Amino acid sequence: MSAATTEQRRFATLLAPATVIVVAGLVLPLLLMARYSLNRFEPGQFMVEALTFGNYVKIISDPYYRRIAVTTVTMAFTATAICLVVGFPVASAIARAPARWKTALLLLVILPLFVGNAVRAAGWMVALGQKGLLNWILLRLGIVSEPAAFMYTWGAVCAGIVSVNLPYVVLTLQSVLEGTEKSAVDAAQSLGATPFTTWRLVTLPLAMPGVVAAGLLSFILAMNAYATPVLLGGPTFQMMAPSVADQVLQQSNWPLGAALAFTLTAITLILTATVSFTLARTHAGA
Amino acid sequence: MSGETILGRRPVEILARAALRAATALVLAYIAMPLALVVWLSFMAGEIMVVPPEGYSLRWYGVAWNQDQLRSGFVTSLWVAAVATTLGLLVTVPASFALARGRFPGREAVLQLLMSPLIVPGIVIGASIYVFLVQVEIETGLPLAGSAWGIVVAHLLLTVPWCVRLVTANLVGVNRSVEEAALSLGASPLVTALTVTLPMIWPGLVAAAVFGFVVSFGNIEVSLFLVAPGQTTLPIAILQYLQWKIDPTIAAVSVAQIVLIGAALVATSRITNLGKVV
Repeated sequence: MSAATTEQRRFATLLAPATVIVVAGLVLPLLLMARYSLNRFEPGQFMVEALTFGNYVKIISDPYYRRIAVTTVTMAFTATAICLVVGFPVASAIARAPARWKTALLLLVILPLFVGNAVRAAGWMVALGQKGLLNWILLRLGIVSEPAAFMYTWGAVCAGIVSVNLPYVVLTLQSVLEGTEKSAVDAAQSLGATPFTTWRLVTLPLAMPGVVAAGLLSFILAMNAYATPVLLGGPTFQMMAPSVADQVLQQSNWPLGAALAFTLTAITLILTATVSFTLARTHAGA
Repeated sequence: MSGETILGRRPVEILARAALRAATALVLAYIAMPLALVVWLSFMAGEIMVVPPEGYSLRWYGVAWNQDQLRSGFVTSLWVAAVATTLGLLVTVPASFALARGRFPGREAVLQLLMSPLIVPGIVIGASIYVFLVQVEIETGLPLAGSAWGIVVAHLLLTVPWCVRLVTANLVGVNRSVEEAALSLGASPLVTALTVTLPMIWPGLVAAAVFGFVVSFGNIEVSLFLVAPGQTTLPIAILQYLQWKIDPTIAAVSVAQIVLIGAALVATSRITNLGKVV
């Protein structure tokens, strides 16, 4: 009994520093933010103590904020659909690649992921700018007679978000496809199924939990995208994460910024819980 | 099934396979393209971005180094990432021991708590810490908002989940009998941990250090709220520059970031399975 409590005290001591940092550095600030989201913002006198859901109501009812929310969700859906469709073949290619190729391919996918979104957005500016690569190619081919405006459009942001999310989608799908039984695929093909039928009836159903997990991860990332919409969408293109920053830093409207932040967090947490649930069920089933 | 259908299917199958392979190559190119274009831009001779370039030059690397804002951003990011990662390892290695070895009530809850900086959106973490620091500053008079401490603590927070994940994964694989031998020969638990266990989980520690560093060094969403004039990190300096214009100078700085992070990842891929980490 006393040995067990000494043991537990030792574990508690070992856990204390990290726990204190996360509680003080994240939990307490989040609680304060949650409280502030219920305050009122009075122009001219900053924040007024209150207990109201007005800020949340505003996000849903005010056409301006509703448009931001709709743009964000539409963008997240579109980018995720594209990522899943084009990411699947890459993921299965990497999953089936011989070991010496696999590390190189994984590095190729992981490096852009960690380099940061501002640098990748810079690359997209070279591709899509007035005097960029795409315009040069189109002009040379005679498809357009003068440079087209690709920057600061919905399409530019979507292209950027797809390139940001693809590595995550490919990695998630890859790790699930790697674990699926090759024998099931072989069995289907030896019974005369065409490759496409095999893919539709065997590979895809087996990979479905991975598809769901990758899709939700991509959706979360797109919902929270900051640098890509700011740099490729320009000052007038509004998505939720940039508007949190704008409300808190530029407008000094903390209550509304906090409410926007919590709307984002709520969506993210619900989806994350769904992802872990789906993945847990796969592992339980395997 | 007749031989005819098998033969009849072949050309279609070959074509489909080729198309699939081409699609894979295209998607990989799409992922790599933004970085390749940044590298290309950094070598262009002209002062503004024009495709095709007028010529090639290395001078923008020198120009970039002489821009105070960018150089000090690079230096700030380096030391913030180094301090945050060191502190991150110091607090998470003991915690990982407890999480990997202990079976105690609330273990799952603590694990979830330590992983939470990876789940809560970065922009929300940044905004909350900023608001919290300003509030504490108002209450206590301590100059916290816009101080280097704010950034270091926030980045320390970001390294915690990565370090916990990588170190616990390595601890689970440790052969306990070696530790038991050391203990039975009279070594204290602390000495055993430092001289027997730590060397065995070395790859996990290196991977944790690299990922902590990389995650801190590249962060935008959290840092955005905590930088102050003269206290700007490199990604924020790049972001602010790009909001204004794009030119070979900023591309050269970006290449420095790509090379630094690339080297760190290549080094890690030699000691740990990257596919399992992310």
